[in-house]
Amino acid sequence: MAREVSLNSLQELEREVILQVLYRDQAVQNIEEERIRKLKTHLQHLRWKGAKSVSQEYRENSCARCHQELGLLLNRGAVCQGCSHRVCSECRVFLRKTRAWKCTVCFEDRNVKIKTGEWFFEERAKKFPTEGKHGTAGAKLLQSYQELSKISVVPPTPPPLSESQCSGSSHRLQELGQFKGFNKSVENLFLSVTTHMKKLSKSQNDMTSDKQLLATGPRQCASRTERRSQSDTAINVTTRKASAPDILKSLNQESPKRHTNPVLKQEDLSSRPTPSAVFSGGLRHASLISINSTCTEMGNFDNANVSGEIEFAIRYCFKTCSLEICIKACKNLAYGEEKKKKCNPYVKTYLLPDRSSQGKRKTGIQKNTVDPTFQETLKYEVEPAQLATRWLQVSVWHLGTLTRRVFLGEVTIPLATWDFEDSTTQCFCWYPLRAKAEKVDDSILPNNGELAVRAKLVFPAGPRKFQEALEGTDWPSPNGQLCLVVLGAKNLPVRSDGTLNSFVKGCLTLPDQHKLKLKSPVAKKQACPRWQHSFVFNGVSPSQLRQSSLELTVWDQAIFGVSDRLLGEARLGSKENVAGGRDMCSQSELQWQKVLSSPNLWTDMTLVLH
Amino acid sequence: MASATDSRYGQKESSDQNFDYMFKILIIGNSSVGKTSFLFRYADDSFTPAFVSTVGIDFKVKTIYRNDKRIKLQIWDTAGQERYRTITTAYYRGAMGFILMYDITNEESFNAVQDWSTQIKTYSWDNAQVLLVGNKCDMEDERVVSSERGRQLADHLGFEFFEASAKDNINVKQTFERLVDVICEKMSESLDTADPAVTGAKQGPQLTDQQAPPHQDCAC
Ligand SMILES: Nc1nc2c(ncn2[C@@H]2O[C@H](COP(=O)(O)OP(=O)(O)OP(=O)(O)O)[C@@H](O)[C@H]2O)c(=O)[nH]1
Ligand SMILES: [Mg+2]
Ligand SMILES: [Zn+2]
Ligand SMILES: [Zn+2]
Repeated sequence: MAREVSLNSLQELEREVILQVLYRDQAVQNIEEERIRKLKTHLQHLRWKGAKSVSQEYRENSCARCHQELGLLLNRGAVCQGCSHRVCSECRVFLRKTRAWKCTVCFEDRNVKIKTGEWFFEERAKKFPTEGKHGTAGAKLLQSYQELSKISVVPPTPPPLSESQCSGSSHRLQELGQFKGFNKSVENLFLSVTTHMKKLSKSQNDMTSDKQLLATGPRQCASRTERRSQSDTAINVTTRKASAPDILKSLNQESPKRHTNPVLKQEDLSSRPTPSAVFSGGLRHASLISINSTCTEMGNFDNANVSGEIEFAIRYCFKTCSLEICIKACKNLAYGEEKKKKCNPYVKTYLLPDRSSQGKRKTGIQKNTVDPTFQETLKYEVEPAQLATRWLQVSVWHLGTLTRRVFLGEVTIPLATWDFEDSTTQCFCWYPLRAKAEKVDDSILPNNGELAVRAKLVFPAGPRKFQEALEGTDWPSPNGQLCLVVLGAKNLPVRSDGTLNSFVKGCLTLPDQHKLKLKSPVAKKQACPRWQHSFVFNGVSPSQLRQSSLELTVWDQAIFGVSDRLLGEARLGSKENVAGGRDMCSQSELQWQKVLSSPNLWTDMTLVLH
Repeated sequence: MASATDSRYGQKESSDQNFDYMFKILIIGNSSVGKTSFLFRYADDSFTPAFVSTVGIDFKVKTIYRNDKRIKLQIWDTAGQERYRTITTAYYRGAMGFILMYDITNEESFNAVQDWSTQIKTYSWDNAQVLLVGNKCDMEDERVVSSERGRQLADHLGFEFFEASAKDNINVKQTFERLVDVICEKMSESLDTADPAVTGAKQGPQLTDQQAPPHQDCAC
């Protein structure tokens, strides 16, 4: 009898050990998917640059990639074998040891195949045509396991900056679901997993004589955890045990999905990553289009009717951490002084969001030309991690008499999706100049970063009270708690040295305008701070919370007695207080609703700071 | 105010996306040949004489710099014990390369190599790259499989061959790096033509009527 118990626990431990690995793998896969997504966005960006002119002003005699005019005799261009577009000689990349070339976009396409591992999936498809691309063995095992045990297994608490729990996983699950033949393959996995689990239990029953196994069993798990904790990939996970009989039982049921237990259902909710819990969400990276920005010199310059293009190249040296912007030339610029037909152009750059004077770089001034040639290199020293959070803004100005400046146009490039490794992105490129728009579409306006929080309403236990809480019936005594863990923030507007001493203030405004304020400790010298600090607002009832608003503000601590700098704020709850029309806001609003309606469960949220 | 803070929030996160591509590698072979030890030596530079048989499957992640590229390796360590076979073979499809290991002091583990190789053929893609590794070469006194036999078998199966020791750190790094290189070669091959960006070679000469594209090299 005693032995049987220990055998059962060994099985459980085994399953737990394996599940932990599967969840760690899931985290790795999510990161990988995020990376692949960025790569593809970048490729899309290149395509977009090419396609733009085709629709705008398609000219037979211009290069499909850089839009440079092609000559009739010299530099006539040639047709790319990959895409059949005519490209100039500068937009060709020659493959090693061959005279064959591809245009920059086709070359990039190929590069993306390498970097995303697409080449492997294509090769593999030759042998396993039905195999889904991204459904890893782990993901499938995990899913079939979860389905089998009907989520009696709770995935690990997401890592603090719930990046690994981001869209990737849920997206992949969906993708898996859409994949044809998926049901079949999962059925197979169901079978293989269950037969495996059966085998495990069987072999354990059979192997009572196998002293070595019995001896190493439980100890092995313990010591393995120790060993693993030294490794960099260590992630502590909490898994709820699912007993083997449960698994086998649910397999016998025709449809495990019909298995409904209210409590399990709730766990189900909380354990599935919410699609909107996207930390490094699409918002930033999707903003490939030139972003118009407000300038420090706003109001101190004149506007010309923007026209023309600017040619420059961007390079980054990882050894010296230097970013080089080689400004080559402009063409068809607007006149700075239209009446006098005068233009003395120069180029200025910033690495947004830093608009301080230390972050400014300028070229020399060219006199009396709307087609200036600069051939100047502007340099920044910036860490690779920092680089990914910046936008390069290149603007063209006219210097008039009495140092009156006129804005001639600008280009803004998000560096998050820029591939500095790739030689094609280091090439010179023409970019159309754009005006500073009056009103900018919110969705492409650079926000002030994202704040990751996790929230939970805590009420004294009791199912009936649960129900009341859900239905919004008022709480007899307001002894509930709102727990909020401020995990961390990203993409904040950093200081010119790339760091911040940031902290978070939380302010809960109750319906009677009573304010509960809390403050986190300061995260020193971190551009992407992780506070992991809990705010607990005591003595609140659900109905009160429904009419309350929670304001979270992120601050940069003052250096020399100057006042603290507000980096951004996010607001939750109480509709009246929230300015409408913000896309991300409504998402976080939904999540906030979820917090309010599911007491005692943690909800992860990513809030966009404005 | 830190009442709800839970130890779980203290987790370290390996969210670094700063790499060029990811390869998945699987280590297979009989139980106790030293697969886990081999991986721990490579990833953590550690070794313990105690035998802790692997449960099912495990992995480690290591990013290396090779041919001017940062390659993230997800290295899967499988359990050699037969009873985990259904789980471990499920991972064969995702692997680009394999390290097939035996123990030079254990005849049986060497005899099993053929079977393991068949498993690869069955469950993996056609271009799977395999390195045969005879581990524990520090135990010369107890050797039962000669280097020659190892090499012959490797030749016969079309694999590259290394003798190694996780204990004395012999040929561990070399094995992984060689495997990465052969996967890179396979990759270039599967894309028909070699890619300068991958092989680290410079671009070929421009044969057109114009000058070479300006500034292909980093100026530093
Ligand atoms: N002398 C010596 N011992 C080694 C070497 N590599 C591993 N060992 C020992 O061999 C035993 C088995 O090593 P593991 O790495 O756990 O074996 P494994 O192949 O992972 O076994 P399974 O997980 O059961 O498949 C341990 O006691 C190790 O200390 C080696 O290079 N030299
Ligand atoms: Mg092992
Ligand atoms: Zn061109
Ligand atoms: Zn092309």
